[in-house]
Amino acid sequence: MVFNSITFLIFIGLFFPLYFSLKGRARLWLCFLASYLFYGWWDWRFLGLIATSTVLDFWIGQTLEQTSETNKRKRLLWLSVAVNLGFLAFFKYFNFFLDSFQVLLTNIGYSGELGSLQIILPVGISFYTFQSMSYTIDIYYGKIKHEKDWLRFATFIAFFPQLVAGPIVRAKEFLPQFERERKLDYERIIVGLGQVIWGFFKKVAVADSLAPFVDQCFASPTSFGSLHLLIGVIFYSFQIYCDFSGYSDIAIGLARMMGFDFPKNFRTPYFSKDFSEFWTRWHITLSSWLRDYLYIPLGGNRHGTFHTYKNLMITMLLGGLWHGASWVFVFWGFLHGMYLVIQRLFGTYWGQFLQWIRTPKVVRQLINMALVYVFTCLAWIFFRATDFENAIQLISGLGNLESFNLSQVTNKFWVIKGFLLIGVLLLIEVSDFRFDYKSLMVKSVAFRVASMSVLIWLIAFMGTFDSNAFIYFQF
Amino acid sequence: MKKWYWLIAIVVILFVGDRIMGKLLENIVLSSQFRYSRMYRGDAAADILLVGNSRGLIFYQPYLEEELGVKTFNLSYNGLPADLTDALVKDYLDLYSKPKLVLIDVSLCDRINKELINGFATYASQSERIKELIRNQDAKVAGGLEVSWLYRYNSEVFQRALFYKNKSDEDWLLDRKITEEIKAKLTPDYEFIIKYPKEMPKQLGETVAYLRKQNINVKLVLNPYYPPFVDHITNLDEFIKDIEVATQMKVVNYATAVQKEAYFGDFQHLNKAGSKVYLEQLIKDGVIDFDNK
Repeated sequence: MVFNSITFLIFIGLFFPLYFSLKGRARLWLCFLASYLFYGWWDWRFLGLIATSTVLDFWIGQTLEQTSETNKRKRLLWLSVAVNLGFLAFFKYFNFFLDSFQVLLTNIGYSGELGSLQIILPVGISFYTFQSMSYTIDIYYGKIKHEKDWLRFATFIAFFPQLVAGPIVRAKEFLPQFERERKLDYERIIVGLGQVIWGFFKKVAVADSLAPFVDQCFASPTSFGSLHLLIGVIFYSFQIYCDFSGYSDIAIGLARMMGFDFPKNFRTPYFSKDFSEFWTRWHITLSSWLRDYLYIPLGGNRHGTFHTYKNLMITMLLGGLWHGASWVFVFWGFLHGMYLVIQRLFGTYWGQFLQWIRTPKVVRQLINMALVYVFTCLAWIFFRATDFENAIQLISGLGNLESFNLSQVTNKFWVIKGFLLIGVLLLIEVSDFRFDYKSLMVKSVAFRVASMSVLIWLIAFMGTFDSNAFIYFQF
Repeated sequence: MKKWYWLIAIVVILFVGDRIMGKLLENIVLSSQFRYSRMYRGDAAADILLVGNSRGLIFYQPYLEEELGVKTFNLSYNGLPADLTDALVKDYLDLYSKPKLVLIDVSLCDRINKELINGFATYASQSERIKELIRNQDAKVAGGLEVSWLYRYNSEVFQRALFYKNKSDEDWLLDRKITEEIKAKLTPDYEFIIKYPKEMPKQLGETVAYLRKQNINVKLVLNPYYPPFVDHITNLDEFIKDIEVATQMKVVNYATAVQKEAYFGDFQHLNKAGSKVYLEQLIKDGVIDFDNK
């Protein structure tokens, strides 16, 4: 079931009245069953996979707490990590590794075929396995206590608002919230509903309207002029941002209405002034997960410059691979790793240079923002491309400035609509810093009614209703 | 309970605002100089009705009108499919007296175009036939159009109506020359198949029968392609034959009638200069000829 579907609207229309009419354990059961229904709607066969992760990690969590023997604890932790990553490796990466191995064998002269398996990628597997693993790892390190109630734990793993595309909510953030009594809260409903509508605007109006132009550019980069391709890349940067942050907004908003607080997943990332900042603004729950469960355990920045760079690269390469079973994702991670390393190497000199040429602070910030955006877009080309050839074709097309004119841009309808929507998006996001729309919505009924109505009108007037699945579902 | 009244206010404002803005946009659309706006408001009476997809846009009206001293009206639109053509032609005949000639470029049989039909929802308030087409192909979209009037204007067609709000759309055709990059695509193994759905020639057949039943002079032509490109179209003869069978009319094949490279914008479209040359040819050949009724 996807959020931008009639089925989901019916589902949610039935769920919320029931949710608020029930209390205690009955409500928890409802959350659990609704989550399994939500996921099973896509493919019921994969419910077993979530159930297995849930049962195993629940048991491991319980046993870890009862055991003080170090070796046994380690074995249990490894079992949890191995099973969770094993599922991920099999369902997401098996064919990728097999294909890569095949290429390697071919290169060294072996001519046989290794074949491949027809494996369906279970939606959201990368998200819920990370969520589940964080639970056992945190228990192992004594950061949290074992959850005694299996139903709470199972609901935490399968919680439908964020099950398939995050945000990745850790056990220590989520499980304690079950203790809280959740009533129908006026303020939560307002802010949550506002965020859900905003998420739908980002997804249905912005991301899905930009998608056809982007698809066209990447499908056949050699057919278009450089200006057309440049617009395609800019559109993709906003498509992926609005698609993913739109999903996060809907998830966070729904959870808020239900009485749960989820961490923020995006904070206007394209306004970042350097790449470290970018990763504190883009997919925050994944980058902080990677920081806490990969970068820091690897040694972080504690063992000198070389090891810091090495750890950064490993984290970014694996972060890239997390997104998809393809070398272009790994390269995307590599590029971001390089950006971080280069920034650490030359960032100070760059800052001094900008000061030396006496640029005002605001101009310096704007230059840095523009640079981060341009290099982020360059990395997005690899992220979106089907393979390296496709990415290189697009980059070559961009470099061919001969056709950098408006007459070579086709489908101007999409271009006008796209830029209009990006304009509305940026206007709202930038003015939010000044006006804080969330609190305005709570305080002023007129503003609430007007803003929600305007967003819904904009969705009707400019939305694309082909029910495109969210991009991050494939991750 | 009182504090929840804003939810009711939102529903009411959403509905009322949607209707008001929908009506406002309808007025804006109908006051546009865009061809369908002119047609539905009653400003498109013509002696010659020109019909086609983007290849039909090369029936360059200002030139024809100047040459022949007649009034023309072009119903062509990028990717216009035969079923939507049928609705538009019939709507035209409902609104105006019979044109002396209807000239149709048969390339419009080359596709089904659900997206464009949905896009024509912009004119759904003016046409039961467009509404019917949308209803038949996509009940969800049809439902959406009833729920929100604003949704009717969520399309390229609306944007074009805005673009042509205060200016004529009669010179809407390519004004560029085919580029070396485009030509380079015609490698020896390049193959182009007209993937026409079989129901589209049949649909055109129904439109033609409807026109002929009303004693309207109909001419079917296949507009020119870039000549080297024609050699790569593997099923052109079959395409023409299927249309002739479905319409029981001869298709005058002008696929290679214009030879000069400078007259093309790309493989499938003449540019403005090429369109004039082509129209001269049509007049000379008597395809556009009022004595030939």
